[in-house]
Amino acid sequence: MNGAQHILEAFHRHDISTVFGYPGGCIMPLYDALVDDVGVEHVLCRHEQGCALAADGYARASGRLGVCIATSGPGATNLITGVANAHRDSIPMLVITGQVPSGLIGTDAFQETDVLGMTLGIVKHSYLVDDADALPAIMHEAIELAQSGRPGPVWIDIPKDLLLTDVTEAPFAQSTQQATSNPDLTEALAMLRAARKPLLYSGGGISLAHAEDSFRTFAESSAMPAVVTLKGIGNPGKHNPYNLGMLGMHGSRAANKAVDECDLLLVIGARLDDRATGKLDGFAPNAKMIHIDADAAEINKLRPADLAIRGDLNDILTALTTALQDRPLAIGDWQKQCRTWYTTAGFHAADNEEALAPITGPAFIRQLSRVAPDDTVIACDVGQHQMWVAQHYEFDHPRHHLTSGGLGTMGFGLPAAIGAQFADRNSTVINVTGDGSFMMNAQELATIRRYNLPVKLVVMDNQCLGMVRQQQELFYNNRESQINLDDNPDFVAMARAFDIPALHIERTDQIRRGIETILAYNGPMLLHVAISREENVWPIVKPGASNTDMIDETARTAKASKEQVA
Amino acid sequence: MNPQSQPSTPSYTINCRMTHEAAALERLCQVVRIRGFRIATMAVETADEHLNIALTLEGTRPIAMLQSQLEKLHTVAEVVLGSGSVARSRSA
Repeated sequence: MNGAQHILEAFHRHDISTVFGYPGGCIMPLYDALVDDVGVEHVLCRHEQGCALAADGYARASGRLGVCIATSGPGATNLITGVANAHRDSIPMLVITGQVPSGLIGTDAFQETDVLGMTLGIVKHSYLVDDADALPAIMHEAIELAQSGRPGPVWIDIPKDLLLTDVTEAPFAQSTQQATSNPDLTEALAMLRAARKPLLYSGGGISLAHAEDSFRTFAESSAMPAVVTLKGIGNPGKHNPYNLGMLGMHGSRAANKAVDECDLLLVIGARLDDRATGKLDGFAPNAKMIHIDADAAEINKLRPADLAIRGDLNDILTALTTALQDRPLAIGDWQKQCRTWYTTAGFHAADNEEALAPITGPAFIRQLSRVAPDDTVIACDVGQHQMWVAQHYEFDHPRHHLTSGGLGTMGFGLPAAIGAQFADRNSTVINVTGDGSFMMNAQELATIRRYNLPVKLVVMDNQCLGMVRQQQELFYNNRESQINLDDNPDFVAMARAFDIPALHIERTDQIRRGIETILAYNGPMLLHVAISREENVWPIVKPGASNTDMIDETARTAKASKEQVA
Repeated sequence: MNPQSQPSTPSYTINCRMTHEAAALERLCQVVRIRGFRIATMAVETADEHLNIALTLEGTRPIAMLQSQLEKLHTVAEVVLGSGSVARSRSA
């Protein structure tokens, strides 16, 4: 068995059945081995960035390891954005690249780049294999490492000659489960019982720890008002009466108000990112903080915790639920207050009653949320549409919402949707994108066609880079700079060129039929949604400002009239 | 950055033991830089499969944050912080 065959053998041993890749010179021995291997489905994307982001989407939707493969040089550099995306959002990923033959490393050989050096900052760990017999241990360690603790991408760079060398060491067996932790929660419980206004603050760490069920049970049984980060959307479930939705820069006033007023913040699986907290000095000023996370380096990183608990989130949440069972928290007034805030200052986008009116982003997303099946996976891109989805789509599970949170990668959505569809060929997967993001990985339409994936594409087209335009309007005196995209291609014709049927809508009365048409179609279909160029995402907190200083449309209108008067 | 513009930057000593693998020192140095510290002195010794690295670092951020980030590196076995911060005047 040579190095290439050993890699495939390791895939089998670790139940890796789907990989995303693109062949080339130095990785050819692995592709040669794939010819004889029917147990691994290799998905050929049309750009290595598409491979990495599809592997990312596969991992997010399934909770399993995402695997991507590329050749040396440009193959590896093209992967980098996708791997950085996975790194920032702690997505378990294995990256395998071919490298020039061992003897040519350091000679500026054709398609040679220092992959190990240039990727150090975007991986959990990485290897340059220098001995074929080290491969069994490296493959095993890499696959385990990518998925354990705080997950992340692990990169293996393998010289071509070692892919062809016989491996004499035996493959590793699957490892055993980690031991269950038994954290002491006495102090946490005392703080919870002492609090009059406790608030649950959860993030992407819940699904990364596969703790979705134990979190939901805890949220429901404790009946604590709950806010979520962008990656925590769906954690409390859409029927939880105390779910105040997303906090932060584009969060709801209700969520930010609750953070401002609470006296205890129970942070679970979140890292207090600046987009969520706003200016730290003004964040939860009256609250003590309990920080529960798998990663010790996140504790006290940005805001000191009054109590920190590091451990397995499943164990901790289950123990907390049990401990609160006998005597529920007495927080009736606080629950009532939060419900009032939710009613008056939550996200409740109204349907636009005027049939002939132009489509607005929130109204469209609200309709999509109502019409799409409950277990629909939405793969977003980055920009205004991403925030409208976060605000107005009602998710019942965090794995149904795939979004590029940390890196904010335009072009994420389409390949991520492809990955999610491979994770479950029977699920409904919708890529909600904008006209800017869509063009960043539009080549992957060919992948959708090739595998006949029933991915639905919703392109919300405002003919500009809307989020940049919005910030230029609000924070740069409306000086528009390089945001105009009014020479976009005809997206309907473009989809049809890939043999994907498409439909255009632009009026409110066309929304429902448009959504129903693409959902009912047995195969991929694109819905082109024309929306206003001038529409903004509300509310917004200026970057660096406190979350209590939210700007909304009324402030914008007031400012405009004041300027007119002046 | 001109060091003269910082009249007083805290200084720390750190001893780090890590696996002697291909990119060991690059990994360490990159984390030190990205987390806001500057290497003033560095001494490296090889001991079997490990590297013992003694560093003097300068930076204004909490050193505990750097320590926890270094400990996260898969190949780092141990990070020992020297006794206390020494604020020294660089303009003197």
